[in-house]
Amino acid sequence: MTRVGLLLRKDLRVLQRSPLLVALLVVYPLLVAALVGLVAGYGSSKPRVALVDEDNLPAVAQVGGRTFRIADAIDEVGKNVHLVRMPADEAARQLRAGRVVATLTIPPGFLAELRSGLTSPSLVYETTRGGISTRVTQQVQALVYSLNRRLQSAFVRADLRYVRLILHGGTATFAGRRYDVLGLDRMHALLKRLPPSPARDKVADFARVAGIALGQTGNLLSSTASPIGLRRAGVKSRSSLLSAQVQAYALALTITFLALLLAASAIAAERDENTVGRLARGLVSLGEIVWAKVLLAAFVSLALGLAIALVFGVIVEAGNVIGGEPWQRLPLLAVGVVLAGAALGALGALLGALARETRTASLVAVLVVMPIVFLGLVPKEVAPLAGWISEALPFTHAVRYFASSLYDADPWATVGRELAWLAALGAVFGLGARWATRRLLD
Amino acid sequence: MTGVVLRARGVARRFGSQVALEPTDVELRSGEVLALIGPNGAGKSTLLSILAGALAPSDGAVERPEGGRVGWVPQRPALYERLTARENLELFARLERVPDAATAAEDLLASFDVPADRVAGTLSVGNRQRLNVAIALLGAPPVLLLDEPTASLDPGQRRRLWETVRDGTVVFSTQNLEEIGLYATRVAVLQRGRLVFDGSVEEYERVHAEEVFR
Repeated sequence: MTRVGLLLRKDLRVLQRSPLLVALLVVYPLLVAALVGLVAGYGSSKPRVALVDEDNLPAVAQVGGRTFRIADAIDEVGKNVHLVRMPADEAARQLRAGRVVATLTIPPGFLAELRSGLTSPSLVYETTRGGISTRVTQQVQALVYSLNRRLQSAFVRADLRYVRLILHGGTATFAGRRYDVLGLDRMHALLKRLPPSPARDKVADFARVAGIALGQTGNLLSSTASPIGLRRAGVKSRSSLLSAQVQAYALALTITFLALLLAASAIAAERDENTVGRLARGLVSLGEIVWAKVLLAAFVSLALGLAIALVFGVIVEAGNVIGGEPWQRLPLLAVGVVLAGAALGALGALLGALARETRTASLVAVLVVMPIVFLGLVPKEVAPLAGWISEALPFTHAVRYFASSLYDADPWATVGRELAWLAALGAVFGLGARWATRRLLD
Repeated sequence: MTGVVLRARGVARRFGSQVALEPTDVELRSGEVLALIGPNGAGKSTLLSILAGALAPSDGAVERPEGGRVGWVPQRPALYERLTARENLELFARLERVPDAATAAEDLLASFDVPADRVAGTLSVGNRQRLNVAIALLGAPPVLLLDEPTASLDPGQRRRLWETVRDGTVVFSTQNLEEIGLYATRVAVLQRGRLVFDGSVEEYERVHAEEVFR
């Protein structure tokens, strides 16, 4: 067996004798992944938005001849954002303090303007910059879209009453005055009583064509108000908990935590146990010591990564989840797990060599894991700097590799690119670790 | 290196701005037992680590026996605490390329009377130190470097240790002046990182030991 192999076997034997540590290393990141998922889910579902009602909207309002319950509309919004009623000055104060992420103001005269149907009233929306403001803006836009959809049908119905009046005639009230409208039908009947003439026939023909055209007005008004509709199809899909992204994140988070901590503490332990000097006197080179720790991280990552994939797969199969588990992709996943584990192991070895003591190395590794993971979770479009930093860390590339290798129809381009990233980052961190390992001898 | 089995030429070591060892020349001939003495912080462990190859010198070079390594017993035991005594010996024997690692480990366990299958971290201080010495003897190195090897041993254990190693070529550091008269053939004295004396035991005895440790 090679010298690296002997050291690797030793480290695995030491690890085997610490079952509690191994259990913690497995359970802790999975727990963190679940908590992150819960917090993210909570955060995404209920941002706090102030509602300032300067028009004193009644509980029930009549618009376009249709009754609207204001509370229902607010409940509808409450599915996505937590709307809190408050005065304007309090809303402004809370927005400045960051207690609410946005304010939505109903200006004075809003309902009267809406009822008039002559002009479109506006809701006034203010939000903080950055963070989740983009998402909140989308949710407020969705609220306005939803209100417009409800109002649109009331307005169309009101418009159609006028169209029917023109078609069939009758009495109507407009701007407070009562009118008796002849209507095209009655006009047609009156025309028939007139003596025949080309002029009468032309007017009668116009009345007929106008009647046909106005008969189509209902559909035209509806399609003009909503050229494209959105209908939610009732197709059964996989739970978000078992989605490709969650599997990829859970795998990457666990491996990041495990590989960093293991490699960092294993290399620092060589100094704590005073063995690095014994090894370095010609038995094993410093580079071989780093290699042994990198391989330790890769080996344990592989074992754990496959176990996690297996557990996910069993749950997916047992639940008869749509899409199933892509078992044939496990070898491809395994390649990525090994390389991600090695790259993260190299980073861990670098941290461990810099920290020099096992306790410090473990603490540093734990402290470093969280920023690495959270940087990888922040979308680049929200925080470009975070995106750039996370590109230089293995976590992001591991997530992309895992998701692509498991679920992309044609994963090769992504897989190849991310493998190259992981290999390059592993080489850089490995060289850094080799350089830093000299500190262990001081 | 006729007769000389270990030679250091101008070896020095700095840790940042601190000088731990000034340029030092040391030669060791076959069969010699060199006692390295001096007060705490004089540079004894630094010199021994450099001679062993466990620490790179900032300046100078060390010539070691051709093709062979020196055995090194650091002051603080260098062993894996979660491995048993046997596993430690077998691992280092394989790394030393000892032909039959298991037999070599078994022989040393018997010679040093160390509990074979107890995890090293649970051994007594004396047993850990004996295991530390046993690991250094793997592969029968032509030169043995011992850094205060008997500091944590009782008188019986000290005697047994010296019975095992005294027939070879040895450099040992000690604070126990009695050991110089009993085992050393030559004495080197370090003070504040500088070699201030290198001569026979008789020459050394003409200098008052208290002067050395002052």
